[in-house]
Amino acid sequence: MISFSRREKNWIPYLLFLPALIYLAGFIGYPLVKTLQLAFTSEEGKVGIENFITLTRDSTFWKALKNTLYLLIAIVPLQVILAFLLALFVNGRFKGYMTVLYIICIPLALSDVSAALMSYNIFTSHGFLNKLLMKFGFIDAPIYFFGLGLSSRAFWVIVLTELWRATPLVFIILLASLQVISKDYFEAADVFGFSSWQKFIHITLPLTMPSLQSALLIRTLFAFQIFAVVWLLSGRDIPILAGEVYYQQAELINFRLAATYGFIIALICILLSWVYLTFLKTKHLEV
Amino acid sequence: MLKRFIVVLIICMLLTSAAFAAEVLNFASTQMVPAAEQIFAKSVLIKGFSDESGIKVEFIPMEDPDMFTRVSAEVAAQKVTISLVGDLHGGLDLMNTKALFDDLSGISLPNRTFIKALEDYSVMAGKKVYVPWMQATYVMAVNKKAFQYLPADLKVEDVTGASEKWTYDALLNWSKNLNEAFKGPKLGFPMGPKGLWHRFLHGYIYPSFTGYQAASFDSEQAVKLWEYLKELRPYMHPSSSVWESMDEPLLKEEVLIAWDHTARVKNAVIEKPADFAIVPAPRGPQGRGYITVAVGLAIPVEAPQKDNAVKLIDYLTSPDIQVKMLENIGFFPTIKEAEGVIPEGPLKILATGVLAQSGSPDSVIAMIPSLGAKGGEFSAAYRDTFTKIVIEGADIGTTITTAGDKLRAIFKEVGVPLL
Repeated sequence: MISFSRREKNWIPYLLFLPALIYLAGFIGYPLVKTLQLAFTSEEGKVGIENFITLTRDSTFWKALKNTLYLLIAIVPLQVILAFLLALFVNGRFKGYMTVLYIICIPLALSDVSAALMSYNIFTSHGFLNKLLMKFGFIDAPIYFFGLGLSSRAFWVIVLTELWRATPLVFIILLASLQVISKDYFEAADVFGFSSWQKFIHITLPLTMPSLQSALLIRTLFAFQIFAVVWLLSGRDIPILAGEVYYQQAELINFRLAATYGFIIALICILLSWVYLTFLKTKHLEV
Repeated sequence: MLKRFIVVLIICMLLTSAAFAAEVLNFASTQMVPAAEQIFAKSVLIKGFSDESGIKVEFIPMEDPDMFTRVSAEVAAQKVTISLVGDLHGGLDLMNTKALFDDLSGISLPNRTFIKALEDYSVMAGKKVYVPWMQATYVMAVNKKAFQYLPADLKVEDVTGASEKWTYDALLNWSKNLNEAFKGPKLGFPMGPKGLWHRFLHGYIYPSFTGYQAASFDSEQAVKLWEYLKELRPYMHPSSSVWESMDEPLLKEEVLIAWDHTARVKNAVIEKPADFAIVPAPRGPQGRGYITVAVGLAIPVEAPQKDNAVKLIDYLTSPDIQVKMLENIGFFPTIKEAEGVIPEGPLKILATGVLAQSGSPDSVIAMIPSLGAKGGEFSAAYRDTFTKIVIEGADIGTTITTAGDKLRAIFKEVGVPLL
């Protein structure tokens, strides 16, 4: 058995967390500093905002920003509403609710790439949906859901895929929150003659607000990172911020503009997090 | 006690890594990166060589930018671990400009007659930078069903034999016929983000219409080219914009005519050899533009296992291995000795198409320009021009003038003559 002196014992805790610290510094800290450095350095090596000027002069940047925001606006509210309804439904604890819970959670096990490929196989011109519609005589020729000049249709296929893929995450957070609400509140409400709607507004909603805030925050931040689903279903027909980071870095090998895109995404995420944390601040509540 | 324990641990780790470094020959390649091709590289190519020579090889597949970064970093740090590099001509050319490779003119590879054009291409400013390893091109794959809908004045032999009648106008009429017959577009291109659509634009249709890849980018002939593409657009399958390779859409019969890299249509021909024909690309007013892709093997300076790397080059360029590579990944041999040993079957179908294309008298051969890190911007200029003009309906003249200036600036910056 290895024995340690008193002096050694003093620095052993630091030694134990040193690998984690080195890992964080090397794989998160260093790239972060390097990204900042790249974003604020021009091709000639001058420090300044030249990369940001180049980016804002490129129409693709504005398209990417607009599309990312549109996706955010279309996906996040729908996801939260859907997840809330599903959580309330499952929280009813009817017979077989565990089976329903498992079915809802299946997409959690899927990567975004798998989800996108499944979606592609459903909606492509020779996909399951078109085959089904043609088999039953609803259509003669396949409907094209994505492709050349069809970016608005592809947009909704992406929204649908994301809804299916990522709603369970919000659902799990909200369900966990609903399950810890004490029955006493509802019993007291019954005594005062609250309707179901009043119970939802005055008890369920305020008590799930902290979880709702976390779910909103996580989903909004994830929505800014959305990449594989858009990339696989529309290529660059629908340019998005995260996609442009990849495109600049891997295809155009322009590390500076890729870092600038990355910096802008980080900035927007920080700003939105601040908005959420400030305006959705929960009042002190005891559960 | 603890200090002693840590020191012993570190020494053990260093010794183990040093022992591994000394034994294994690291072969980094930007080719054979897809999973199925990696399996072939490791379990057939590398295993065969190791069994034959007793030399252990680690096959390291990597993307283009990673290769450049890693080889540059290793040479700069004087800690080279890669002994052999397999890359496209353009990538090798770029790394050679940074003096990262040895001169291979002294190495001996007996019983090999390399194709002259490729051999000439591998010598840069008097230095033999690489040994031609494999070559490829891009062709059109046609489902034989489509031959029933050829335009009246076009015969199957005109298409397969690259006659003067097999033109871009003929392709347009053929696509129109298919569109009517199948109630939807049946012509497809790999326009997805990782697809090679830009190669079609700069290496096929541009030389066919203007005689050059970029030199006449905003010429009057180029205006006609873009007008042609606008006319062809309704007959292009909409899903083209998400396809990265055309073998799957061909097999599913989503398209009946497709253009792509030979390696990316190979699976369709192998799976259903009776259904497909590989035909040359059509010609335009200036001739039949097409690209030849050369892949080479180079040895980095201060590579730890140079002699073994030469043995591996010798093995990889032997006729049997060259045919195996054609069989498995669809790249064509670079040595004449391999030509006679290509077996009958799907590969012959591929080879026939490739040979008909390269043997056509009206050839306008295009080589992928060696623009290094600016290669992406070059490709993007063509793709973006297509999106703006054909998809978004932007004015042809203004768009090609702007993109043309950008292209000329790229060539000027890199110091490569305009092609």
